[in-house]
Amino acid sequence: MLSKRSLVGVRLNFHTLAVLFFFLIGTQVFAADPAVVESDEAIAAGKSVFNANCKTCHKLDQKMIGPALRGVTDRQSAEWAKSFIKNSSAVIASGDEYATALFAEFNNTVMPAHGFLSDDDLNNLLSYIEYGDKVDPAAAAATAAGGEGAVAAGGGIPTEYLTVIVVVLVIVLLLILIVLGLIISVLTKYINKQDLDADDKEFVSQKFELGKLLKSDGFVIIVTALVIALVAKTAIDGLYSVGVQQGYAPTQPIAYSHALHAGTLEIQCQYCHTGVEIGRSANIPSPNICMNCHTHVQNVQGKDGISPEIQKIYDAVDNNKPIEWVRVHNLPDLAYFNHSQHVKVGGIECQTCHGPIQEMEVVRQHSALTMGWCIDCHRNTEINSQGNEYYDKLVQLHSDSKDALKVKDIGGLECAKCHY
Amino acid sequence: MKIAKTLSILGIAAFGAMLAGCKAGGDNQGLEYAPQMYHSVAYEPLTQIVNEDQGQWLSTREDGKGEFFNSNVYNPNHMNMREPVEGTVPRNKSGMLPHRLKQFQLEDAALIENPIPLTDEVLKEGKTLFEQYCVACHGEKGQGDGKVGEIIGGVANLTGGAYINLPEGHIFHVITKGKGRMGAHGSQITPENRWKIVHYVKQVIQKQ
Repeated sequence: MLSKRSLVGVRLNFHTLAVLFFFLIGTQVFAADPAVVESDEAIAAGKSVFNANCKTCHKLDQKMIGPALRGVTDRQSAEWAKSFIKNSSAVIASGDEYATALFAEFNNTVMPAHGFLSDDDLNNLLSYIEYGDKVDPAAAAATAAGGEGAVAAGGGIPTEYLTVIVVVLVIVLLLILIVLGLIISVLTKYINKQDLDADDKEFVSQKFELGKLLKSDGFVIIVTALVIALVAKTAIDGLYSVGVQQGYAPTQPIAYSHALHAGTLEIQCQYCHTGVEIGRSANIPSPNICMNCHTHVQNVQGKDGISPEIQKIYDAVDNNKPIEWVRVHNLPDLAYFNHSQHVKVGGIECQTCHGPIQEMEVVRQHSALTMGWCIDCHRNTEINSQGNEYYDKLVQLHSDSKDALKVKDIGGLECAKCHY
Repeated sequence: MKIAKTLSILGIAAFGAMLAGCKAGGDNQGLEYAPQMYHSVAYEPLTQIVNEDQGQWLSTREDGKGEFFNSNVYNPNHMNMREPVEGTVPRNKSGMLPHRLKQFQLEDAALIENPIPLTDEVLKEGKTLFEQYCVACHGEKGQGDGKVGEIIGGVANLTGGAYINLPEGHIFHVITKGKGRMGAHGSQITPENRWKIVHYVKQVIQKQ
């Protein structure tokens, strides 16, 4: 953390750049194995081999799942590299010291065997690893620093601007008010110095009487009407909201964000809510599903250490204790609802009822879930009977009608569909 | 007279405020009409009230516990369900037996053949399933470039040489038990669906 902070803190003047340049160049010079040729053709061919087989675990100049590859033929012979690529397990099993150390350094991650690569493929690959896509370290450092600056400048500014604008506006309005007050007092003083008749004098010196205004009939009627309207509206809204939990967004034991998982990362709903197409409930995922990714992803936005929220999953798994999520959507016992009937059979998107879930940091109940709301949808939704024999007879029976076949026509309004 | 007037105005305001409080939002669940209907007497999925006093105020239960309490005190963590007894085999329509091989028995798994016949419909379902369960890491075309895959790293490029000739049983086994950095997906995807994904990977993804 400290070293990171100091790196960003270093001002990018010419000196530091120059020092950085030579420092990095110093480490970048390899005496690659002479068997590895530096030709454009070989590098291009090697790149496609690399992209197809290596890229998800390796980078040329950075550690990833596996080590940074550039300079491998400097550290070991080209022959060693080839045999390791072909079958790393065999090299490690043979007791090769360097291979064993490497295996331990990368948490005993097994690299798949690549015996299918021909000798030409391997030569090209090594050419690409040694000579391909070289980055000028100084330029890379400069763009990295510049990039960070740009990102920092990008966020947060609009709201700050807004506050500044509002504050400035308020100050300007106050100034205008003061100036107007001053003008009035100056004018009054000036007029009082003139000779005025009685009528004019009375007009100039009249005072604004608040009490009189408050007691006037018009004012009382307007205020009473407003209060009654407001109270009536609150009362009616309040009564209608009894038993309707629309907007309920309870705090959950883990601050899980659908906006991140379903929105930014585009993980499909069904990946975690596995019951949605086969059962009545959509299911809240068990921690083993979280762990498919969070075994490796321990913090957000590439931060170091373990995020306290992700730590809660680990605690649940370690202690074999369920995570007690708070239920958001709850139908009364008198109504039956089945997810698979709607999602699998009806082909309805999750968002139709659950709203823009991929934008929610905290899940809230989007729909009213009242009977009127259900019925409304059953009245308006057409049935997709294409290629489904089940509907053939129903379609035939319905063929006299001008309207399309809708859920209401096949029993979607029957009481016993949901209440039994 | 004046006092009565003030009181009535205050009363109306208080009534309004009270009704406004019925509305749900944030942590407030809102006022429930006939709460006994919202809180199931029978065990319900995804709802376990562990607190024995909850709903005491309207309880008519003979055991003296709160009206809303509904969890099984005899199960671990008061859960409603228990895991099936170890070694039991669930009956299913397809008659498929559980996949019992251990994670390391890849070579044995490779010998298993795909029991689902290959049809266009199966491929279509396989595509949907692939999009639901695999694309996040392996990417639309299986090249290991999904959005989550970029964060996790080390995701297999299914079209790469190391994977292109793998037998179907191997793929099925890896989906079920996991391998390397990939977790086990056996609990999420039914065996039939896993075989459909295998078909899609073999027939479409790896034949691009």
